Amino acid sequence: MPQLRDSGNSGPGSTVRQSPEFEGFARIFGIETEYGVSVTGAGRPVDAGQVAMMMFQPIVSRSRSTNTYLTNGSRLYLDVGSHPEYATAEARRPLDALAQDMAGELMMRRLAAQAQERLQATYGTGLRVHVFKNNADSAGHSFGCHENYLVRRFVSLEQVEHELLPFLITRQLYTGAGRVTDEGFEITQRADYLDEAVSSATTRSRPMVNTRDEPHADPEEFRRLHVIIGDSNRSQWATWMKLAVTHLVLCVIEESARLGVPSGFETFALAAPGEANRAVSRDLTCRNASLRMADGRELTALDIQRGFLRIVERFVAGHAAAMDAAMNGTRTDAVASRDGIGRVLDEWRRTLDLLDAGESGRLADRVDWAAKLRLFETLHARRGGVAQSKLEQLDMDYHDIANGTLYDALLRRGAMMRLLDDGDARRALTEPPADTRAALRGGFVAAALVAGAQFSCDWTRLTLSSPEHREAVILDPFADEPTADYRQLMQAL
Amino acid sequence: MPQQFEQANADAQQSAQHDAQAETTRVENTQAEATGDVLDSVLDDIESVLETNAEEYVNSFVQKGGE
Repeated sequence: MPQLRDSGNSGPGSTVRQSPEFEGFARIFGIETEYGVSVTGAGRPVDAGQVAMMMFQPIVSRSRSTNTYLTNGSRLYLDVGSHPEYATAEARRPLDALAQDMAGELMMRRLAAQAQERLQATYGTGLRVHVFKNNADSAGHSFGCHENYLVRRFVSLEQVEHELLPFLITRQLYTGAGRVTDEGFEITQRADYLDEAVSSATTRSRPMVNTRDEPHADPEEFRRLHVIIGDSNRSQWATWMKLAVTHLVLCVIEESARLGVPSGFETFALAAPGEANRAVSRDLTCRNASLRMADGRELTALDIQRGFLRIVERFVAGHAAAMDAAMNGTRTDAVASRDGIGRVLDEWRRTLDLLDAGESGRLADRVDWAAKLRLFETLHARRGGVAQSKLEQLDMDYHDIANGTLYDALLRRGAMMRLLDDGDARRALTEPPADTRAALRGGFVAAALVAGAQFSCDWTRLTLSSPEHREAVILDPFADEPTADYRQLMQAL
Repeated sequence: MPQQFEQANADAQQSAQHDAQAETTRVENTQAEATGDVLDSVLDDIESVLETNAEEYVNSFVQKGGE
């Protein structure tokens, strides 16, 4: 991932004032998704890098760059190694982040369709461009879906490592996207590729949580927790759940750090996180793998998840009003009521109960790995033996947002749960979340495009270079109100 | 599952309730997931994928770099 110009400092001359959301439980969510590209039906090999460049041609002709921000406030760019990448705009609610993520799929689908049409002129109408929202190619290269959570600076990295990591490793029971490997089916796409637990290293080693310090906010107040361990999900429920449940766990950790008291999660520190991660991924029963704890005990992934749930339930009982207010404010619309903490806890509890009962099949309408496994089992029952390469193909097709058929068929037949519909995704492609600084960025990009102005953006900065040079810093990700600088910037357009 | 959605905040606006009800319907639809008929239909839908050359499809996806 390319380094950003600005890692979050406000720069000389500007006064830093505390975010009104520093106190309390408000959160900023973001998802960065790397997509993979391939071509079939061309009759001869076509370089994926070339195809990715062709996908980005409309972006280059608009922005003179393969790195741009969209009117919905999100970032779209071509990453190292020809990965199209989409980073959602800042969202205050998991459901808003999901809508933004779905808008990213839609954007990629459109770019792929245009590239496919142009390539067909050269290679024939049998050519298909595949864009995979997954995390591994056929040669064993892995790429990521990174979650970002804005957390208060007083949470230490030690606490993240010992208290959050056991949760992240075991939540894969319901957030894992599933993967066909030579050694059999696994719950996650990523476990085989992750080694260190927590690290600031970027490309060579792959940590589960990246600690590179780029808060894209006031570094005195916040850090941006960059979670590497998760899979790219097709299931809307899984994307929503991984953000929603992780947020609740983070609320407990933050409050314990704020008060200087133990969270209770410290008892779940793992002796060997990498080993535990792989063990969880390979145990399709979800009940058999026993994980070595730092204190010498052995627990299953479900034991650990139940422990986290118990502590979160107790915490929510005492803080529900403040947590709800932080996420929804005075908002009482549809999205707010569906993103409620009660619903998240109900889903979490029910999921663990079903897994505990050995009934992962009943989660096949919402848990990606269970959806794949059910389909493979059905196929096996109907047709007898299924070749390994066919299973691998179906696994990939499930993640192909451009020409895939499997996931769309599951959705269309009502076998996969929807939280949002296509209209929500289309809206989220043009409309930024209304209650974060993404609203300011999106408004700026939209106005600049209409005016035909030269502009550039950053997560914390909006720059106009022509017709005149102007800049506005948007340091507080929670702030959706135009500043004086922002107003001047918009007037210049 | 559906009953959770019916617990939409009592003070939520009417639009919210309407939305939650619409969602209940959608969620109930997924209850059909267990029936073999639905999965048979899905297998019919993906017939073209089942017919194509899997090796070629899989091996064509080799990515460089990332993260």
